[in-house]
This record gives sequence, structure tokens and C-alpha cells, in this order.
Amino acid sequence: MLSRLKSIIPALIPFVVLTASVELAVRQGWVHSYLVPAPSQVLRAMIDSRDELFTAVASTSASALLGFALSTIGGIAVAVFLSSSRPIQRAFYPYAVFFQTVPIIAIAPLLVIWFGYGMRTVVASAFVVSIFPVIANTLTGILSTEPPLRDLFRLYGASTWTTLVKLRFPSALPQILTGLRVAAGLAVIGAIVGEFIGGQGLGSVVDVARTQQRVDKVFAAVLLASVLGLALFGLINLVSYFTLRRWHASEQ
Amino acid sequence: MLRNNNHAPLPNIGDNESVHRRHFLSLIPPAFLAACSKTPGKIRLALNWKPEPEFGGFYAARYTQHGLNVDILPGGAGTPTVQMIGAGSAEFGIVEADEIVVARARGNDVVALYAAFQHSPAALMVHASRKFADIGDIFKKGGTLAIQKGLPFARLLERQYGFDKVQVVPSPGGDISAFLRDPKFVQQVYMTSEYLTAKRQGTDAQVFPISTAGFDPYNTVMATSGDYLRKNPEIAKAMVAAVREGWRVYLDDPKATNQRMNQLNPSMSLDGFAETAEAQKPLIETDETRKNGLGYMTRERWLTLISQLEGLGDLPKVPAPEDCFTTLASTNS
Amino acid sequence: MSAPDSVHGGVAGGVDVDLRGVRKAFQSLTVIEHLDLSIASGEFLAILGPSGCGKSTLLRMIARLLEPDAGSVTISPDDRFQTAYVFQDAHLLPWRNVLDNAALPLELMGVARDERHARARAALRETELTEAENRYPAELSGGMRMRVSLARALVTSPRLLLLDEPFAALDEMTRFRLDLRLRQLWASRGMTVIFVTHSISEAVFLANRAVVLARRLGRIKLDRPLNLPERNEDLRLDPRYGREVKTLFSAMEEE
Repeated sequence: MLSRLKSIIPALIPFVVLTASVELAVRQGWVHSYLVPAPSQVLRAMIDSRDELFTAVASTSASALLGFALSTIGGIAVAVFLSSSRPIQRAFYPYAVFFQTVPIIAIAPLLVIWFGYGMRTVVASAFVVSIFPVIANTLTGILSTEPPLRDLFRLYGASTWTTLVKLRFPSALPQILTGLRVAAGLAVIGAIVGEFIGGQGLGSVVDVARTQQRVDKVFAAVLLASVLGLALFGLINLVSYFTLRRWHASEQ
Repeated sequence: MLRNNNHAPLPNIGDNESVHRRHFLSLIPPAFLAACSKTPGKIRLALNWKPEPEFGGFYAARYTQHGLNVDILPGGAGTPTVQMIGAGSAEFGIVEADEIVVARARGNDVVALYAAFQHSPAALMVHASRKFADIGDIFKKGGTLAIQKGLPFARLLERQYGFDKVQVVPSPGGDISAFLRDPKFVQQVYMTSEYLTAKRQGTDAQVFPISTAGFDPYNTVMATSGDYLRKNPEIAKAMVAAVREGWRVYLDDPKATNQRMNQLNPSMSLDGFAETAEAQKPLIETDETRKNGLGYMTRERWLTLISQLEGLGDLPKVPAPEDCFTTLASTNS
Repeated sequence: MSAPDSVHGGVAGGVDVDLRGVRKAFQSLTVIEHLDLSIASGEFLAILGPSGCGKSTLLRMIARLLEPDAGSVTISPDDRFQTAYVFQDAHLLPWRNVLDNAALPLELMGVARDERHARARAALRETELTEAENRYPAELSGGMRMRVSLARALVTSPRLLLLDEPFAALDEMTRFRLDLRLRQLWASRGMTVIFVTHSISEAVFLANRAVVLARRLGRIKLDRPLNLPERNEDLRLDPRYGREVKTLFSAMEEE
């Protein structure tokens, strides 16, 4: 336990230095607080608005998690479908790429038209933004199954489905988890963008605080959004640790 | 008063893209924007929206004739003009009067020089079929209200009428597609802009100006930092004079300026430009301005605004009205 | 089905393999032009040849993992699941332990868990790997992994055992031990074994017949029986061993 704590210290040092410098700069008047709030002000904003922020964090978390869950399931399903044959891959993969390249900002208003104001649009936004890494990584993982192992399964008459479930999917798991790590952070971002357009959550807090020139509150909400992203990322790492720890180099 | 996301009559995806992209720019502390390079002698005037008739006078002004080398920086949704002025990334900027009061209360020394709009064009747009008698009715009969709820006028309305009977959603900027689709949709607009677009599309659009609820700050106000004003009083004077002249020109004949602005902002048609330029005239030129000059501001109006904001609890410190604005160059035009 | 201790989980014996006029090309490259080869049941055949000569392709066609472009591959008897294949690398499933890896073929064939674990344990005993049954491949040495791979191949009591340079990556001692073990397993079960290798000395030690393929087109350059005495560490001292090695060496050398 102690060694785990010790390993965090190098990461904390820049944070402490940066925070202290900004605090000093604002107090001394070198930087205006209406441009960059002092960390103490951000903290104050968090405490003062804790009820509102708590509700917002809960809302954004729920939306991001749901969007992420949908892109995990959907992304893996699409990748499995794409892996079934080369012609299918060629036909449909470009459309999967679409999910990565289309700017969410441009289609978010469309999402409101289709899903209305509120959580459904936020979840849809999180989904759209986070699904592509799941598809791409899962597909790569599935297609990278060692040919001799595929031969082995063929030799003993395994059906396509059996091969998928017992060989290709477990084999792809490390790659899938990599995709999920990326998707987790993107889901939070997607949720916040959706909230700018559709209302509620941390995105709404940021938007409203901005119009009130409450930079401290903006920073507080943005910070909480990052923490949320980190938490989700950490969750994936935990899952990865438990599923891969006996057999994959990445967890050894 | 109303922030930048409420103009642009023609909704299209390209529009909204710049609308919302600017949102994120406003989250970058403008201190970093101040690092942008600056040609010596060049004066930057930052707008808080795209070039549209509301800035007509600023585009029509002949700055060089007043010895000024001015660069007009168009904006979009969320352009943080009041912070840009404070940070020094623009010498002059267009802001709303209530932004100035709040900024000063937070230690940002900005000062208003010229109020292009004597009255705010902000309004709530409804479908006439709902037969609202006055602005208060809107909050009693359900439906969706698209509003920037952080803005002072929204919070005033909330305090006065309560939002519990309406579904409050974010304002879609200049996009009226939701309004067109949903007869129970109410949206914050500029009555000189989106309202006209909605009418052109054949809907039964109707507007209730926010001023009827008692909130009527100066709008499209040119401001500068207190520091810059103290160091360059002559330049400030010249700017006001040039701008006042420009507005006179624009009021008398907007066509040429509209063409220039339309080239910079093709999202609005030339007809739209003409219609809006005409509709906004009574908000710009009033008996007051005929007596005291275009852009004229009074202490009373500022005091009213300050006490309204104070009542909302927005002001950590209460600024004095005379600190918020200054009267330069008393040329009548 | 059968007592866990018995070596033969199912049927014993081997198969006849007959290749007639087999041809295989990949895109524009003809790997095997016209191959005729007959292998009798119970033979231990070593296939030698330089890299790229088509040895692996040939093996895969016999395993029916690949179809010839022309000609035929006849195996009799031709029952399902009678063939086993050992690859150059162990290729174990890293997320399963040793026991489940060894039992994999039976699992794919639908054999119930208790039975397949029992048979897998028996196979692991044959390859001297019993204490490791709960460990994971990542924890094993290369030699141990190859033993698991071998056990996996043996768990179905195959009639036809195909090996593609399986011990090439191992150190000499481990290789020798596994060669010996393989030879003993073949002797006791009587299956047909086809062993592809780069190593002439290994071929001579293991097989009772050697085929040398030419560099190109899968032509058979040499096909001769290897009649040598008891296989053990002293075999290499026997002059007949050296003579066979030399013969094969010369066959492989000219070209």
C-alpha cells in the first residue's frame, strides 16, 4: 500500500507547484482573477455551489456511463459484424470512421431534433463520440487472432460462433480494453457537449456560469468533469487488471 | 444584455458550428489571447457576434479620417469581449451594459463609451396561436422555454414569474428550427433579427420585448479598459466621434455597409440585412439621442441597471454608476 | 469413455495418407507443382527441405486446413477429429491454464468437463507435466509450453499426428528429451506421424523414413527409409547414424 502511495508522489509534485504558483500570481495581482481564478477561489466555488455541482456531477456521470455502456456493447457488436468477412468490412468500415470524424458540435443540434432536450440527447452525444475507438480496437483485436490458433479451432470443427466466443474474443480482450480506455474519456466529453446543447449536468453549469462571468465556477465544473473522466478511466484499468492479470504482459 | 447566441436569422449547420465552436474559445482564459501579436498603432475593436446590422455604425465609421488605424474583429457565440478588453487583447470591444456592471464588480476595470442601442432588442418569441396577453402569460401555460438562464434578464424573469410551469432548455442560438417545429416553443431572440426570419418563413411569430418586464439595459455598447482610457484619452475621444458619425451614416443609408458586412457574413441575406437595419432604427435613434447625440448614456439608466443586478445578488461589490461609463466628445450628429 | 489411466483414450493405430498429383500455388507462385507421396499407416515420416520449399504447405494440406489446387489428398480411414497438429510455437490460449489448454480439442468436440479433464491429465502425464496443470502459459518456460502443446495434440488419441518444426525454438537438451518422448509415444500408440524439420540430425533420430524436398516446386529429391537401431543418447555414436546424416546432408546440399 505504501509503495502505491509513493508511486503517486511524482505525479502530485507538478500539480502542487502549479496550483501554488497560480494562487500566488492571483493574490499578487499579476494575473486578474476574472481571467484565471485562484485555486482557492475555485475551491470556494465548489463548496458554495456543492449542491448544484453534486446534482450536475450525478447527471453527467449517469449520462456518460450510459453512453459509454452503449458504445461498449454497440461498438463490440459492430466490430464482430465487421470481422465476419472482408467485403463486409470494406462496405461498412468507412461508415464507422464517420463516427470519429464528424464534429460532435455540428451534429449536436441534430441530436436535439431527434432526441429532444434532456438526458437522451446527452447520452446520444456521449455514445456518438465514444463508439469509434471501441469499434476500431475491437476489430483490430479480433482480426489479429494468431492464424495457427484459428487453424487449431478449424481442425477440431469449431463453428464460427464458437471460434468467436472461445478464441477471438478473449484474444482481443487486451485490445478491447485499450479501446475502452479511450472511449471512457471521450464519453465524458461527449456528454458535456451534449449538455451544452441539451441542458443539464456539468455542461450546463459551465455554460450558465460563463454567461455570469463566474470563471471560478467554470473552472470548478471543468475540474469535476476531468475527475469524472479520470474515475471512468480508473474503472477500466481496474477491470483490465482483474481480467488480464494472470495472462497478459500488460498487467505483469 | 443578451449574449451573442441569439442572432443569425438563417439557421444552418455551418452557422451553429461557429456558434458553438466559439463557446469553447470563451473557456480559454483571455489572458492567453492577449499574447496575440499587435501591430503598433493598430486599434482592435472586438465584436461579440458576427457582422450584422447591429454593428452597422461600427463598420460604416471612417476611422482613418479621425486618425485611427482600426481593425474590426468579428466574433461569434461566447466571444469573451469583456475579458478581452480587461486582458488587453482588444483595445475596444462591444459588450452589453449588464456585462460591464458585473465585470466591474469582479475587479475588471471596463468603462462604457458609447451605447449604440438605447433600448435592448431582446425579446421572447412565441407562437401567436397561444394567445398570450403579456410576457407574464408565457410562464403560466407550459411548453418549452429556450433561454440562457444564467443571464440577468432570465434570472429576473425567473424571480418575477417563476419557471416551474415551463420546461427550460438551453437557447439554440440563432437557430429557429425548434421554434418552427413546435408550436409550444418559446425562444429568446432579438426582435430585430430571428423574429423577422421567423416571420419570413411564414410562422405566426410574435415577440414580447424583455423591456416590458422592466429590464432594459443599454445594448451593443462600445467599451474600453479604464487603463487604456487613462493612457489614451484622445484616441478614445476620436473613436467615439468616428463611431457616432458612422452610425449616422448607417442610419441614413445602410446599403453600402450592408454589402460589406454581408461579404463577411453570408449567412444572412442582403434582404435580411435591409429588413433588420430598418427594424432596429427606433431602438437606436430616440428623442434622447436627437437631443444629446447618438450613443448617449445617462447616470439614471446605469443606476437602475446596477440596482436590478444588485437585487439579483450578482454583485460581490456594487460599482458606482459614474465608474461604469464616461461621456466623451459631445458632438451632436 | 475409457479409464483415465490408459494411454489410449480412444482408438489406436494410424492412417494411410496418399497424395496424388497435388499442386498448390499462391497467387503467381507455384509452391508445389506435382507431388506424389504415399505414407503407410504407422510410419514416422520426416520431411526435410530448405526454407520456402513447401513443407508447411504440404503439412497443412494433409491436415485439410488447405485445399490443393489440383490432385487429391486421400486419408484412410478418414474419421473426423483423428488428426492433430503441433505448430512451431506452442500457441496456447494465454487466458486458460495448462489443464484447460490441454483439454481444448476435447472441449471443441463436445466432451464433458470431467472426462476431458481426466483425459487431459493423462496426456499431461505422457508429456511429464502434471504439477503444472493449474499454471498459466505466461508462467511457463518455452519447453514446458511445448509439452502442453504436445499434450493437447495427444489428448484426442490421434491417428495422424502432424508436427511442423515443433522443437526448433528449444534448447538442445529439452529438444533431445522431447524427441525421445515423441518417439516413445509413437512406438506405444502406433499412429502415423509426419514431422517437418530443418534439422537433419533430428530427422535421422526420430523417423523411420525421410523425404527431402527440393528448393522449388515441391519436388521430392530423396525418399529413403531410415533403418536405425534403438533410439537413445548413444545412437549418435553409431556409425550408421553418421552415414544417414551424411546422405541426407548431400541430398540437401546440391542445388
